[in-house]
Amino acid sequence: MKKLNPKVGVFIWDQGGWLARAIDLDALVKKFTKAKVVVRCEVLNDLWSTALLDLIKKDLEAGQVDRVMWVGRFTSYQIKCIKGELASTGLNPYLHEWCDLEEQGICVEGIEPGVQTCKAMTLIQMALARTRLLEPLEPMELPGSNAVLIIGAGVAGLHAALSFVELGKRVYLVEKQSGVGGKVALLSRFYPRLCDPRCGLEFVLHKLSESDLVGFYTLSNLISLDGSPGNFQARVQKQPRYVNEVRCNTCGACVDACPVELSWSSGVIQNLTHKTKILKGVNGFLQSTRKAIHPSIPMAFPSAFLIEKEHCPPECRECEKVCPTQAVELNQSPLEEILRVGAVLITTGWDPYPLSKVVEKDFGYGLYPNVISNFEMEQLLGSETQGQSPPSGFSLSDLKEVGFIQCVGSRDLKHLKYCSSVCCSATLKQVLYLKEQVPDVNCYIFYQDIRSPGFDEDLYLRVRLLDGVVFFRDLPTTVGPEGDTGKLNIIANDIVLGRNVEVSLDLLVLAGGMIPSEGSQEVARVLNLPQNQYGFFESHLQCHPEESQRTGIYVGGCAREPMNVAQSIESSHRAAMKALKYLEGTVQVEPTYPVLDKTKCDQCKRCMEECPFSSFVFDEKGFPSLDLAKCRQCGNCMGVCPLVAISLRHNTIKQMAAQVAAINSSFIGSNEPVILAFLCENGAYKAAQFAVELGLSIPPNVIFIKVPCAGAVNNALIADAVSSGIDGVLIAGCKDGQCQYVWGNQLVRKRSSDLSDKLKMMMIEPERIRFEDLEIRDAGKYVDILTSYIEDLRAMGPNPFKFIKQFLF
Amino acid sequence: MAKKLPDNIDEIQTEVIETDLLIVGGGNAGCFSAIEGKKINPDLKVTIMEKAHISRSGATAAGMDAINTYIPEGKTPEDLVRWSRSQVGGGPIREDLALSNAKELNQAVDDLEAWGLPIVKNEDGTFKYRGAWDISIHGEQLKPIMAEKAIEVGAEVYNRVVATSLLMDGERCVGAMGFGVKDGKFYVFRAKAVIISTGGACGLYKSYTSDATNSHHQTWMCPFNVGTGYAVGIRQEAEMTSMEQRWVATRTKDHCGPVDTISVGYKSAIINAKGDRILQKHYAHLGGDKAPRYIRANAPMEEWLAGRGPTFVDTTHLSPEEVKELKIDYLNERPTFVLFLASRGQDITKDPIEIYGSDPYIVGGHTQSGYWVDLERMTTIPGLFAAGETAGGSPNKFVGGCAAEGKLATRGAINYISSVSLPELDSKQVGQEKERVFAPLLRGPEFDGVSPLEMEERMQRLMDEYAGGTSQFYRTNEERLDYALKHLKMLQSQVIYLYAKDLHDLMNAHEVIDRLDVAEVLTHHLKFRKETRWQGWQTRSDYPEINPEFDCFVESRRNKETGEIEAFTRPYEQIVSGDRYKP
Amino acid sequence: MPPRIDIEKCDGCKAQEEPLCEQVCPGGLMSLGENMKAYCRQLRDCWDCMACVKICPVGAIETRVPYQLGYHVAKLIPMMGTDTVTWTCQDINGKVERFKYRNRNDAE
Repeated sequence: MKKLNPKVGVFIWDQGGWLARAIDLDALVKKFTKAKVVVRCEVLNDLWSTALLDLIKKDLEAGQVDRVMWVGRFTSYQIKCIKGELASTGLNPYLHEWCDLEEQGICVEGIEPGVQTCKAMTLIQMALARTRLLEPLEPMELPGSNAVLIIGAGVAGLHAALSFVELGKRVYLVEKQSGVGGKVALLSRFYPRLCDPRCGLEFVLHKLSESDLVGFYTLSNLISLDGSPGNFQARVQKQPRYVNEVRCNTCGACVDACPVELSWSSGVIQNLTHKTKILKGVNGFLQSTRKAIHPSIPMAFPSAFLIEKEHCPPECRECEKVCPTQAVELNQSPLEEILRVGAVLITTGWDPYPLSKVVEKDFGYGLYPNVISNFEMEQLLGSETQGQSPPSGFSLSDLKEVGFIQCVGSRDLKHLKYCSSVCCSATLKQVLYLKEQVPDVNCYIFYQDIRSPGFDEDLYLRVRLLDGVVFFRDLPTTVGPEGDTGKLNIIANDIVLGRNVEVSLDLLVLAGGMIPSEGSQEVARVLNLPQNQYGFFESHLQCHPEESQRTGIYVGGCAREPMNVAQSIESSHRAAMKALKYLEGTVQVEPTYPVLDKTKCDQCKRCMEECPFSSFVFDEKGFPSLDLAKCRQCGNCMGVCPLVAISLRHNTIKQMAAQVAAINSSFIGSNEPVILAFLCENGAYKAAQFAVELGLSIPPNVIFIKVPCAGAVNNALIADAVSSGIDGVLIAGCKDGQCQYVWGNQLVRKRSSDLSDKLKMMMIEPERIRFEDLEIRDAGKYVDILTSYIEDLRAMGPNPFKFIKQFLF
Repeated sequence: MAKKLPDNIDEIQTEVIETDLLIVGGGNAGCFSAIEGKKINPDLKVTIMEKAHISRSGATAAGMDAINTYIPEGKTPEDLVRWSRSQVGGGPIREDLALSNAKELNQAVDDLEAWGLPIVKNEDGTFKYRGAWDISIHGEQLKPIMAEKAIEVGAEVYNRVVATSLLMDGERCVGAMGFGVKDGKFYVFRAKAVIISTGGACGLYKSYTSDATNSHHQTWMCPFNVGTGYAVGIRQEAEMTSMEQRWVATRTKDHCGPVDTISVGYKSAIINAKGDRILQKHYAHLGGDKAPRYIRANAPMEEWLAGRGPTFVDTTHLSPEEVKELKIDYLNERPTFVLFLASRGQDITKDPIEIYGSDPYIVGGHTQSGYWVDLERMTTIPGLFAAGETAGGSPNKFVGGCAAEGKLATRGAINYISSVSLPELDSKQVGQEKERVFAPLLRGPEFDGVSPLEMEERMQRLMDEYAGGTSQFYRTNEERLDYALKHLKMLQSQVIYLYAKDLHDLMNAHEVIDRLDVAEVLTHHLKFRKETRWQGWQTRSDYPEINPEFDCFVESRRNKETGEIEAFTRPYEQIVSGDRYKP
Repeated sequence: MPPRIDIEKCDGCKAQEEPLCEQVCPGGLMSLGENMKAYCRQLRDCWDCMACVKICPVGAIETRVPYQLGYHVAKLIPMMGTDTVTWTCQDINGKVERFKYRNRNDAE
């Protein structure tokens, strides 16, 4: 550690003389001119003169001054301007210190000038103690890539890919199925315009396939992600297709030759007793098969076929024998590739909730072949027009009576507690489309509430106006077979009519909800990505929905929460925008990151565990090593370290300790309590500023120190404050769920309460340490808290440590 | 957390580490050795092998309240040697070693201050002296400060590795072996030179509070320093010096905390139950309150024996300010003494601090027992250097002197390293040691044997009753010493029955084994010196007077093959002028 | 002087390897039990250096005097600041004493 020899220039800006009116400015100047590290202490009436600039420049050039402290009151715009002006002097921007006396309450009316002066002196003393320890810092650039990894090539992933490509960024699309398109490729129509989902997908795919910036990795998974935002190494494993992607011309000869038939659905009912046309047809549809060799699913993109080799009989080579282009390659093995990317976008979508779990409602799913899920209905509706094998021996026009039950397994404490938000509109769309195809079909909708927000209300209206569509407000109590007819008998207690209704149906569609896909679960595991209680990747902050708690990793579409197609596309674009900053080839890092003193570190791992963004990994010696690109510089690591081994640059423990030590704990007179408040920058500090703006009577007893997050406050600092005689320490952070750094407020609340317990053992009132949550508008609450705290402290009496002499030497 | 224990020796991994300078024992001297090594040559590979964690290991775990030797303005290193010599009754001491330590002393303390150690100062900024040579410090963070510096300069630290043996290449020491008390691995450190700085040996004797629940380790000295450093050398035929000069001191009764320098620093004289200032009364001819240390140690015990106990240091004249300062001193070195006083509701201005003798320790930084070393601090085993309490010949080193000696040993080691290289690893030796080390852990569930605790208790009572422990007011005689030796030999032969139920227990097992080897040498020394030169430290009831024939060093060496210990003498050489008996 | 651990407060340092008290004890006496809380494996072997008390991040450890040495109950509580330490001592009669001093200077 080099010996410090700071030379501080102190400039007090007394614009309009406000300061001279509030305090004894001359005494202040006199005191600080004599301070050891102060070279110059001046009062300025006009900050915006070139004379000042020249003065500072001269001082700097002559080595007279190496850092500058500004005292007064400054708007943030003024600070910005001053910094801009002084940039030309060559003074490092981190060698400026701002001592804003106004925000600390030095202008509040009605406070005795002697007290104001004492407080101002203390504040400047604190700022000076910090200024002494400032160090010049330079911003850093870390290397970066301009490629992005998108996991999940459904509608959200494909649209995001197009956005990136249009901006000239390389895209790697990783998809675990053999073809792209995801769930949307299996839908019949979109609402509200009833357009074909394949249309939009083909449009995007066409553009993507023309670009040479896109790499498609189907039948692929992400195995691991190493590295850091801007510079990730993604290990992707591609399963073998067993068909050469270039040679395959999709002629289908192999399909004819293949002896193996596989069934699509596992929910097929085997021993069908009632063999009506519809039952056979629907069951047959659900039972429809594929060969072991077949085109990509769900969309034939990539166009090459693939073989599900695990189902092939040993030694069978029938497909290979007939292939005219020798495209069959039965010896392929899995490939691993490491992709260098700057950011990762997760668009792994959703899966339908398995309705076989909803047994207690007894709607007959899995029991009767004509009870199907809403997702299966989509495929049924889409099959006739999409060129898939139509259901054998039955067509949609055979349907006369179709029922729909909403909220099956949703809004249900035993299944999905939440609402999947799209099922109502999806059912309305299905009814609309069905009526278009089969005008004389009757549709019965059993619902609890119809949720069709925004412009979907129009869809609802259209359906209500259709002939032959009836809405029943209740969920059916029984669903059972109607004798031997093969039809279903439904009984429900309609709330509107106030009596039971009974309906006989050909087909019953159960509207089930959306759950995070298997792919999402897999990604969560590989990336250690936090999920909400339902398994979705909800952001921790309402106002930053695109964020995830892992820097450089973004989530879009239904992987985040249930949403419709338009919203999915919007969401993925928003995430793509955010990812762009890691795709610039370099990553900018503010130099105010945390630094670990390895000589003190005991490898207890608390910093690693409590970092909200998992920014630490172990280095080869077992010490925590910080990923500078992941780090969000909140300071929680600094706050939690029991050995005080971590410091944020430009907000170091020593700087804060020096500020605490500089506080004269009797500045307000010997009988008045002094409060030191640590205010988090985002909420509490703004509330304090707001209180000043509103002219509230902020008690003069409080001095605050601003911190990036309340979680950055280390117990050792609070111990310093208490042991120096400060009567009360207030730590003000955010409410639970509102902390910008996820849980910093909770961490410091727990830690400071441990220290309170220690105070109790030390026969000191534990309430001398207090945590409060403050939002940005809580100016009044801030003042109320302080006022009542002061009352409490007066009742407690002075901190006994005020009278303990520290053995100084 | 229980780690799965191995079933056989092959399951145990061996880790081999190569380095230039190996430091066994990362305490005060050890850390200074490491720091000096890196200072002289930043490219030198320096490795510390420490059985606990260097941030708080060893004797300075709680901290320190004073540096007992710092040469003030107007005094010289020779003056310090004179004082040290007189404090041990005129010696004999190794004046060459004492002088070289004294010359290095102040710098070591200045280093500590530069690293952030708060030293108490007067108004004018000069160090505040508490006695003729002692300065007060607030050393609660002394150990962390040294440890952090050692890490900062790049020493490679292996914490939680217990040393069990030296690695030899013929007669030359080329490293050390041991095991990980957490990871259960066998460690082999190959080094061009080794500095042994494991502190002294505590727990050879029973402490007098030992039979009570939870007070087994009420010892002044760190009970985790068991003399491993001495034992590994003894087993390789190293020559040990002055082992009969045990360190026995006046300590706070029952709590067994420091009180000697408090007594001197706060001018609190030792008094008996009648209020007599016993040092003045009985030892005026030896300097009274300034009498040599062993007089101060033994005097209270004599009072008890004569029926004039209890004994105290007279703190009744202290002002409240002084009491506060005194308590802060304790908080820096042995904080629980403040708790002890509080748990008796004791106001020391009304009830003075009660004192008693401590159990005897072997500690070459206070007395001079330890390895016989040359001026470079190399022992009689080439390649093995000793520093701190492990090195013998020069008493009264204390914190500053041990730190200084750490530096000197490093310089010696670096000189030595420049002319040697690492030989081939002797895998047979390694294999044998690995077997010996893990044997107690691999006995199997049917084994019917002796626990380390049982053997430790047996040894401690044996030494206490027969080799001059506290219960015997430190007295012993030829027949008792022979008895002790006979039973020590039996205990050594019974080491094959030791079993350990986990790795920590295994460490305890080896601590007993090491202590037995040290106790045996100590007893031989006591037997050989047929006089009483330093009452209390070494009292022969059958030879109660000084015998001029023994105005020399008593040395020993243990034969590797036969296990026989040969004791002999070396002559004393006065280098620093002046009356030996006066400071 | 064996350490007493408040197992409600102790969180086992949430670490995979060793809790802080285990790392720092010069005698290797602290350990994590099956309940993932710290405990002293051999109370009689404690040397009362108080390293564990000082380092515990949640303040779960307290030192007590064995009854062999002193009466019930006195307390000595250290509070670690960034470069000072305070000690509060309460004796068996309830009398409280406080001490405060610097334990680190800036390194040069």
